[in-house]
Amino acid sequence: MKGTPDYPALLDRRSHMSQVHQRLGSITTAPLLATIFTGPGAKGHHGMPGSPGGRELHAALGASTVALYFTSAYFAIRAPKISGTQTHGPIRVHKALAWIHGPGMILTPILGAIAYSQLSNGEKVHGVAKYHSYAAYATAGAYGAAIISVSFKF
Amino acid sequence: MCRKLLLGIVLLVLPAAARADSEWVLEKSTLTYHVSHPLHSVDGVGHAAKGKGTCHARQCDFLIAVPVKSFDSGDSNRDLHTLQVTRGGEFSLVVVRTQLPEQAAASATIQADLEIQFAGQTAHYRQVSFQVKSQGKEIEISGTIPATVSDFKIDPPKLLSVSIKNEIPVRVEMTWRPQ
Repeated sequence: MKGTPDYPALLDRRSHMSQVHQRLGSITTAPLLATIFTGPGAKGHHGMPGSPGGRELHAALGASTVALYFTSAYFAIRAPKISGTQTHGPIRVHKALAWIHGPGMILTPILGAIAYSQLSNGEKVHGVAKYHSYAAYATAGAYGAAIISVSFKF
Repeated sequence: MCRKLLLGIVLLVLPAAARADSEWVLEKSTLTYHVSHPLHSVDGVGHAAKGKGTCHARQCDFLIAVPVKSFDSGDSNRDLHTLQVTRGGEFSLVVVRTQLPEQAAASATIQADLEIQFAGQTAHYRQVSFQVKSQGKEIEISGTIPATVSDFKIDPPKLLSVSIKNEIPVRVEMTWRPQ
């Protein structure tokens, strides 16, 4: 592979896709944080349910986060692999954390949709939907750690 | 007959005349580039340099070459990106040329004019200081080349939209031995 005319093109494509992944990943933190901050407004507090408007806003921000997240993930997953390269260094931590925030980004909106439905029907959040916020915090934590792992030197 | 003899003499004498007075070979080396970014600094280390020095008439020509992909910054993802931004797929070697007087080996410090080919560009560094230490027959040379990203027309890599610093000093530690 090295020394062939395709090799520089493969490196270019890989770097381009990694840069798009990095850019979209950074952008995703904005709706992710906004989704977390609007969570209490959707859920309500002190035994009072959240407003329908608060739920709509929280759901819209959550959907934007998920859409951006999976677009960013696509660029990381589809970036060409360079044969003969052994993965080492902080990138291993970054990749390992994807096994937490990846499933979390699938599970959290599903639990959120169930909670949304229950609250819209005038019910209290119950069953598996109760774990929506826990899944969200774990996902956001792993996501933040994944960014930090490749941004700072430890 | 006379022409054959003359040709024979020429063939025997020419290689002898072209032969170097002395030769040096790079025994071992550690080359370390330093990259600074507001969030962190990175050192990429390479030990794969090959080098040779040929001396004629008290003047020595040195040639050192190191594969770009041999540098390890501690992160395989960063190393692949480094390979891409430095056009390492196309220009796989960093080549350094310099000329020094033969007696430089006996000095404690040398000032070298370097010609460096890297990333498809050639940069010249004048009067770069190196410390010289003799260890028996071997000579240890150490110093720092004040390289910059712009010298080689490299698009500076970015992390979170912030570029690395232009300065990428390269620390050189080499051990040479006569061949």
